[in-house]
Amino acid sequence: MNLPVRVVKGSWQNWLGRVVLFGGVGLFMFRAMNEWSRSGLGLLTDALIIAIAVTGLNLITGYTGQLSLGHAAFFAIGAFTSAMLVTGKVWSPFFTDNIWTPGWTMPVAAVVCFLVGMVVGIPALRLKGIYLALVTLVFTEAVRALFKYGEFEGVTGGATGIKGFGYLPPSWTGLDGRADLVEWFFWLSLAILVVVSILSAGLLRSRIGRAMVAVRDNETAAAVMGVNLFSIKTLVFGLSGAIAGVAGSLYALKLTLVDADIPIFGLFGSVTLLVALVVGGAAQNWGPFVGAMFYVFVNDFARGVGEAPSDAAILGWFVDSGTKINGLGGVTFGVLLILFARFVPFGAVGTMRMWRSKLVQVVPRVPAVAGVVAGRSSGPLGEEGSGSVDPTPSSIGAVESPGPIDPDRPDSPS
Amino acid sequence: MSLFIERLVNGLADGSIYALLALALVVVFRSTGQLNFAQGEIGTLGAFVVSTLTLSGLPVWLSILLAMVVGFVISAGVERVVVRPIEHRNPGAVIVALIGVFLAVNQLVAMFWGVDARGLPNVFPDQADDFVTIFGAPIRVARLGVIGVLIVVLLLLWLMFNKTRIGLAMRAVANNQESSNLVGIRVGTILVVGWGLAGAIGVLAAALLAPSAGLTGTLMLGPFLLASVAAVLGGLDSPVGAVVGGLIIGLTEAFMVGYVDFLGADMLFPVMLVILLVVLLLRPSGLFGSERVERV
Repeated sequence: MNLPVRVVKGSWQNWLGRVVLFGGVGLFMFRAMNEWSRSGLGLLTDALIIAIAVTGLNLITGYTGQLSLGHAAFFAIGAFTSAMLVTGKVWSPFFTDNIWTPGWTMPVAAVVCFLVGMVVGIPALRLKGIYLALVTLVFTEAVRALFKYGEFEGVTGGATGIKGFGYLPPSWTGLDGRADLVEWFFWLSLAILVVVSILSAGLLRSRIGRAMVAVRDNETAAAVMGVNLFSIKTLVFGLSGAIAGVAGSLYALKLTLVDADIPIFGLFGSVTLLVALVVGGAAQNWGPFVGAMFYVFVNDFARGVGEAPSDAAILGWFVDSGTKINGLGGVTFGVLLILFARFVPFGAVGTMRMWRSKLVQVVPRVPAVAGVVAGRSSGPLGEEGSGSVDPTPSSIGAVESPGPIDPDRPDSPS
Repeated sequence: MSLFIERLVNGLADGSIYALLALALVVVFRSTGQLNFAQGEIGTLGAFVVSTLTLSGLPVWLSILLAMVVGFVISAGVERVVVRPIEHRNPGAVIVALIGVFLAVNQLVAMFWGVDARGLPNVFPDQADDFVTIFGAPIRVARLGVIGVLIVVLLLLWLMFNKTRIGLAMRAVANNQESSNLVGIRVGTILVVGWGLAGAIGVLAAALLAPSAGLTGTLMLGPFLLASVAAVLGGLDSPVGAVVGGLIIGLTEAFMVGYVDFLGADMLFPVMLVILLVVLLLRPSGLFGSERVERV
């Protein structure tokens, strides 16, 4: 049998692959649901919330190529929007009573973050690469400072933040109020992640999605071809921010408090989201999910190594049981990140897809015309498989494909 | 007036530290095209090395020089062991690796030196009566010393870049790696030296900052952010820009805290954002940065 095996898109083999993939993820979730302790489920929920925010980041950084270190700001804005609405700290028109239920604050958070994101998108018209990353990073810290600013204390809670709200499961879920809070947030986050992923996949298949990839691969060329850079960048920044905002809102409702000093609302949060994106695989539809899972669980594992180093394989020889070494967890996580960047450079999903393409390739159903090279592009984060117009193979390792050029080839097969 | 002079000098002194750190970032950016996230943390580690060495009885200036050597070695090692192998495969993954280095070095400091704050002796005289009077303003000698160090470092860097062979090679590599390789420059060695140099400058900045700011594991977090802003403000590939940017930020901070009551130190980053946007929207590559022309 010749490798790679070619599977026609939409054939039963292709569907089998999809079923195995989704089944595997479903099984993982199911096991996690049933066999893990409550804290394990809480961790899983955190990972899902991060995955939602990273899905947003993936749109602008992965697919449109605009490096953003500002998504913690949207996360924070979403969180504070929910907190301020639920606790009635902002003036609401027409009603004297506070009409906001926790669930309805999420769309509001999305709208607010969409508008802020559109404004943030304007500098992206002039700035590139690290310059844009730095401006968005300062934007994150600026937003954090504004939430902390003493003059706004009546609205944002100032330095102490806002406490005393939450989101109990509605009665139709059949969950039992406070007792099932962990389960409720798990299912809610999962549902939102699924919806957001489907919407984002749909967006990428649309005209806007093509324009995004064109802007990433070559901005000037895209503009020449008729892509309106202003509307694409502001729109995608807005959408991307809105998704991160929903994640932030969810985070606040789960945590039941917001405070500008929570690390994930600042520099640390922006870095977390970017690391999760790159580790999972930028411009990959499964990248955010895998990256967030990696980030949360490897971080937890590393912390465990720091708490009880005698349990870890090599350290056990040097350390007595029961010792705790300050900082060892962080060092472990840092070293794991370096090793990951070294050996899995295109992120888990990107690298797996590269390996898979050596074994199995999904080709379009159209009758084959031999000898066309499927070019692969490398954007700022080196993502692959976007179906670039450029036929020259890039350093990532283009794979010869016998298929014809298919104008409707989706960006992410399978 | 005397208050103004005092704030001016303090702003310039803080700005000098940002300028040093921004210089280090620029040296790395020119050679590798990356923002070195670990720059500040390598500096913090160096400052703790200074603290250990001075406690063992060495004079402060010698401790700082030795710590700069340590910073040179660590930073050069990061380039050789972490950055270069990854850059060959995917430049986008370098940012994750550097964040990993940032985290590892930060926590390594916590592992070896604990999390308690400690003092660091100043290399300049810093007793209560060590001040000079300029236009009626009492100025601490240590503050003037920091500005002096910046001037000396600038002079040395200028001499190195313009009067030595290795400086010439570094400029060539910054300009075009491939052509440099073709004319016989060992690009790998030059990159290692560039990163090492940046590491040493970062340690110097941290050792100058620690006596007044207090030595903790998070010593360089804020200064690193401000130095990145300074480097971007001046243009990431311009050493002159880094210095100008650093001084602008130091002065802005000093005058804002001093004169604008309703903003104060808490609103530093919103103000930085406004400055950054105004400058970058007019000049997208910073004040002194060179525009990159791309072929389509």
